[in-house]
Amino acid sequence: MHEAKLCLELLRIAEEHRTRAGAGRITALRLQVGPLSGVSPSALARAFPICAAGTTADGALLRIDEASGRELRLADMEVI
Amino acid sequence: MCGSCGCGETGEHVHAHSSASRRILVEESLLAENERHARRLEASLRARGIDAIGLVGGPGAGKTTLLEATLVSLAEPGADAVVEGDCASDLDARRMAAVGARVTQVETGSLCHLDAHLVGHALEALDLEGVRRLWIENVGNLVCPAAFSCGEARRVVLISAAEGDDKPEKYPAILASAALMLITKSDLLPHVDFDVKRCLERVKQVAPRLPALVLSARTGEGMAEWLAWVRCGSARGEA
Repeated sequence: MHEAKLCLELLRIAEEHRTRAGAGRITALRLQVGPLSGVSPSALARAFPICAAGTTADGALLRIDEASGRELRLADMEVI
Repeated sequence: MCGSCGCGETGEHVHAHSSASRRILVEESLLAENERHARRLEASLRARGIDAIGLVGGPGAGKTTLLEATLVSLAEPGADAVVEGDCASDLDARRMAAVGARVTQVETGSLCHLDAHLVGHALEALDLEGVRRLWIENVGNLVCPAAFSCGEARRVVLISAAEGDDKPEKYPAILASAALMLITKSDLLPHVDFDVKRCLERVKQVAPRLPALVLSARTGEGMAEWLAWVRCGSARGEA
């Protein structure tokens, strides 16, 4: 499964936006996952805390919303 | 000390480090980076007159055997190059080399699919001079390759008679990424409970515009239509 790889990409995008916003830490992420994205939401949810450990998103809450089609995107995030 | 957040700063300052979180709108696809790589790769191949065809299917769907038979039938020395993706071994690369293709093997280790980045680097090891078709044979997997374009101009998904006619319904995402579906190993049809009509009906449900062919690389059944499809794209690429 490639969910860990996608988690790293998720963290890369989130980190880019955190830096741009001049924020210190990422506390929550909202992901939209479509049924044709080829991704298992539960596997993503399991991989996320492991991939996020030691990053600025360590301990962040990952919310996964159902989307349509092949969608797989980071909708928004919360930072402090 | 700042009264509202307890930091060492005094006076007026922005509480970027306060406990009040703020929301940032992102709206970015996790696959966007790979898509960008893939589009760049596809464009650079097209600019060189190379038609890039991706082959995806489960392990044992007959991808390598079909490719062997295809290269032998096309019989255009020097025109075909192959990127082989497998978790381990160079068995497929050796089979391709044996039928005269320029080939490079990507061993993905535990990674379950090829992506545009891997293919781009794999091409560094291939001399593409005079090549008109690049075949990208993905890791045997009907799930993960769906999400990752590899720079191919068109993708072919293979489902073999031995796998069962229910596969289109079970793996709709991979069909959504394809330009052609092949039901392979048609020589096995008399021996298995694979209903071609039912399979095609299922394809219509999940990917209504996806064309499908039935073939056997072993007996040659349906190979003429397949080769016409392959050549048609090559001709388009040259135009």
